[in-house]
Amino acid sequence: MIAFIARRLIVSFFVLLAATMVIYGLTALAGDPLEDLRELPGPDRDRKIADRVERMNLDAPLPLRYLTWLGNLFRGDLGVNRDGQDVAVLLGNALSATLQLVVAATVLAVVIGVIVGIVSALRQYSAFDYSVTFTAFVCFSLPLFWVAVMLKQYIAIEFNDWLRDPVIPPTVIGVVALIGGLLWGALWVGGRQARLAAFGLGAAATALTLTLLSATRWFADPGIGVALLAVLAGGTAVGITALVSGLRYRDPLYAALSAAGIGVVLSQLLDPVLADPSWLEIFGLALLTVAVCVGLGYGLGGLLRRQAIIASVLTGLITAGLVFLDRMLRGFADYSEYVRGRPIATIGSSTPNFQGDFWQTNLDVAGHLLLPTMALILISLATYTRYSRSSMLEVMNLDYVRTARAKGLPERTVVTKHAFRNGMIPITTLMAFDFAGVIGGAIVTENVFGWQGMGSLFLRGLQQVDPAPVMAFFIVSGSAIVLFNMLADIIYAYLDPRIRLS
Amino acid sequence: MTDYPTEIPGEILRVEDLAVEFPTEDGVVQAVRGVSYSLHEREVLGIVGESGSGKSVSSLAVMGLLPRGARVRGRILYRGDDVLKLPARRRRGLRGRKIAMIFQDPMTALNPVHTIGDQLAEAVLAHDLVPHKQALARAKEMLDLVGIPQAEQRLRSYPHEFSGGMRQRAMIAMAVINNPDVIIADEPTTALDVTVQAQILEKLLEVKDAVNAAIVLITHDLGVVAGIAHRVLVMYAGKPVEVGDTDTIFYRPRMPYTAGLLGSMPSLETSGGRLRPIKGAPPSLINLPSGCPFSPRCPLADTRCHGEEPALVEVDEGGHYAACHHWDQLAAVADPTALFRTESEPVT
Amino acid sequence: MAISAQVPGAAQGMTVVARTQSQLVRRRFFRHRAALIGMLVFGSVVLLAFSSIGFGPVPGWWDKSYLATGSVLDQGRPTLSLVPQFLGGEGIRWGEHPFGQDNIGIDYFALTMRGTQQSIIVAFIVGIVATTVGTLAGAFAGYFRKKVEAILMRLTDVMITIPVLIIAAIVGRSFGDSGIVILAVCIGLVTWPTLSRLIRGEFLSLREKEFVEAARALGTSSRRIIFRHILPNTVGVIIVSATLAIANAVLLESALSFLGVGVQPPDVSLGQLIDTYRSAMTTRPWLFWWPGVFIIAIALSINFIGDGLRDAFDPRQTRVRA
Repeated sequence: MIAFIARRLIVSFFVLLAATMVIYGLTALAGDPLEDLRELPGPDRDRKIADRVERMNLDAPLPLRYLTWLGNLFRGDLGVNRDGQDVAVLLGNALSATLQLVVAATVLAVVIGVIVGIVSALRQYSAFDYSVTFTAFVCFSLPLFWVAVMLKQYIAIEFNDWLRDPVIPPTVIGVVALIGGLLWGALWVGGRQARLAAFGLGAAATALTLTLLSATRWFADPGIGVALLAVLAGGTAVGITALVSGLRYRDPLYAALSAAGIGVVLSQLLDPVLADPSWLEIFGLALLTVAVCVGLGYGLGGLLRRQAIIASVLTGLITAGLVFLDRMLRGFADYSEYVRGRPIATIGSSTPNFQGDFWQTNLDVAGHLLLPTMALILISLATYTRYSRSSMLEVMNLDYVRTARAKGLPERTVVTKHAFRNGMIPITTLMAFDFAGVIGGAIVTENVFGWQGMGSLFLRGLQQVDPAPVMAFFIVSGSAIVLFNMLADIIYAYLDPRIRLS
Repeated sequence: MTDYPTEIPGEILRVEDLAVEFPTEDGVVQAVRGVSYSLHEREVLGIVGESGSGKSVSSLAVMGLLPRGARVRGRILYRGDDVLKLPARRRRGLRGRKIAMIFQDPMTALNPVHTIGDQLAEAVLAHDLVPHKQALARAKEMLDLVGIPQAEQRLRSYPHEFSGGMRQRAMIAMAVINNPDVIIADEPTTALDVTVQAQILEKLLEVKDAVNAAIVLITHDLGVVAGIAHRVLVMYAGKPVEVGDTDTIFYRPRMPYTAGLLGSMPSLETSGGRLRPIKGAPPSLINLPSGCPFSPRCPLADTRCHGEEPALVEVDEGGHYAACHHWDQLAAVADPTALFRTESEPVT
Repeated sequence: MAISAQVPGAAQGMTVVARTQSQLVRRRFFRHRAALIGMLVFGSVVLLAFSSIGFGPVPGWWDKSYLATGSVLDQGRPTLSLVPQFLGGEGIRWGEHPFGQDNIGIDYFALTMRGTQQSIIVAFIVGIVATTVGTLAGAFAGYFRKKVEAILMRLTDVMITIPVLIIAAIVGRSFGDSGIVILAVCIGLVTWPTLSRLIRGEFLSLREKEFVEAARALGTSSRRIIFRHILPNTVGVIIVSATLAIANAVLLESALSFLGVGVQPPDVSLGQLIDTYRSAMTTRPWLFWWPGVFIIAIALSINFIGDGLRDAFDPRQTRVRA
């Protein structure tokens, strides 16, 4: 394993080195770095040109310039851009914003895409399957920048306008309820009557929820509250257990339910800690959650100890996530007032000069991340959905899945234990590829949403024929791609015991 | 060879008029068109036919493992209960516990990402809530039974670390781990080396006796059933065409297809003589020709055969049935396989 | 529909009416409804784009030019209406400026058609160049192994660490103002590596097949084996990936032009139109809508055609029947 990583790192190093050569050369040759200065009127033209020639070392031939840059890089110096700003400083500012965007989008796209793909495969040739497939094709064909501009216009601007008087018009409730009902009807297994019932109940539940949200003006000051939190956590416990071990034996269910219960109780008791925590404290709490839940699963799981541990840990983490969300939403009203009623941001990665507690700062970041992430997800989501669907379909027809059924395993176990694990193996390779695509997508998204991130660093550098910032961008993105590729290979080997890393 | 059960044992599985259809884009495939048989305790029933004769599909129907979209008619009675009418949960309870199955290709039938022990123990845990350790102990016991050395360590091995023969042994262990009444073995030796085939068959019979199960042995190879089956059912184009005791089928076939299968089987006794293959290919199951489906390939076929499909009739005492208009002609000749003599072969 | 492939016994036993490979492919393709609609839509877009404003010296039927400015009528609103009068609309009507006008009075229909032409041309050149280079590279790497393969694969390794958009943007910055053909060829020349990996994989499995063995045993030259024996067997993969490469190139070109590193004025492309008028979204949304609609129409229809082709060449793949 360690030998594998070492070898991969060495190979990757040379690959990256070669890539830097290609990019440096192409960027330096992409145009005239003095273009803007040549048209300057007045006497300081020549001086400015001379300045820049010296700063960018333009008198030296290209290979020498590259080697100088490379030499500086190994000393940890990323150089200066053409205006003399330190690229390392520029990169530092850009990096965190872009990383947040890219990582959030990738993780969400994988999780949602894989789930949708699997459900779609399990309901092959259903209305749900057809709509997912069609939607995936549309997403494949959407220009990212166009989607981003549309989101900006219709989600952010109009949603913010609507928040001033958050009443959902009855027609909207009707349409959304109809769509919700169709979704439930399409997902439900069973005869025509069962589906009709699912449609009716689903539509009614959606309509009721929306009406309540509208009537209580929930969107003006959203929050979850203890009662709703308890209901949601309990529902999560039941749902997760049903998925992990089934509800036939009660032990895992009790473990998950107690995890949910303890989470709800603690969310109230820990009020002083949660008032204004730090990320370190949040991380500690998360670890504590996992530890407590493992204990619960171990103690209460009985003969189904393994499943109980999985169910209670998942329930615990989701409950914790709900508590986190609840806390964040509590600050919503104040925050909304601060940003003059426009909580969904369309420009930049955070509100300039915003001061707030932990929750409000996160709310601010979330508000800025929302749209760019949505745009990025929309594009990768389609890929993950398609691939996991076809991978699942292929695996579900394999002999060993038939063997699993022949043993008399419940369909849940057949899918989660036998099909899912094998179906995910090819997806890991896709993850590495897609990550490179997301970085490209991030450039477009940042451009639309006016982020001062890595994308703008790259684009401005390229427009100005200034290799230093372009190379800084590439060093980060190229390393990230290499690391992601390696990570994918390691996951691959972990999932498939036939592969040995060497 | 196992002995006949001394007393008339109870019937455990009864298949009546089973028919399976698959709608496809080219039309409806009639994979099985009316199969009936019964299986008694500890009996070995051989089902023989070419690929596409419906032998595998009919047993998948018994297991309830047909792909989605398959249409099944008829009755499948396990100890008197029609499994086709059972609720899904009870049907699942039968699978792997009362009726187990062994598949053709052990290379693909085991999940590559889970250990052998896990896959065996899982079969126990699917039906009984016992501690994981106990299930693993049972798995080890079964590996010992099927003759896998160092069973304790082998539990932690992955399928790719096993040879083909070992994997099939593991499959057998998995099939009998819950002491089933019926084992359906679908071409259990076809994918294996010839040298391993006999070992596996022998092991299968040994294990069957250890757990007192009956076996439905599906094969295209009459040689496989010869040594071990009590009764044989020959299938062609989705229908049984001859049923009878193994000896009767081998020495007194009353259906030209059976005779053809026997003639295309190499044996030491006929050494020096030629193999006599059946010419032509099985018919399309989408548009079956009228009349006897074997008639295009049959040396005895006449206009009646082309126009009218023969029914399965009793041709002999002791439960010997055949579906042929001309079964009496076969009874008249000494060597029915000679019907398929090639033209170049001199008449002896 | 795919059931026959899932039933081991039943499928093998069927004797199928003999059909040639190309007949089978054609039959399966024409049964793919989404692909047929895709063909229809794509054909209409091409026909509309090239017949309306003409191409090169050939004049079209539309009387306005994408270069001529004019007076802005009705704030440049589109005159196209598709809602019939009895439904409360303004009736089905084409009007003076169906897609409206931009702020200096250029007819936006003519402009969009020009952009569509250019985007289609760029996409096809990119797709064809990338497929050709990718196929050749993949074929040589997959057949010869050893040195050729090592070099080509290291090269693709390098290219894979560079996101396509990055390298295309850098190339676009250099060649954006040399005209769309050169730009497209250059983009094609940097986007082939993923394709070549695919073809190489295909070659790797085919070169082990018996018929290649047989050809080699007969003393057939390597060139002949590659081009006469193996390549025809990979034609399905190549056609499918070429189609998808074209669909991706449409999106790539528009993204580059949107970022200002693709097609440069006075050339027009759909992405560049969106970039030019993106600030008009709130005041003149049609300037933003029309090019977007055409990009989606082209990309979506080519994607569906690609899916139909994949189904036709490889029926094991799952299908869309939208």
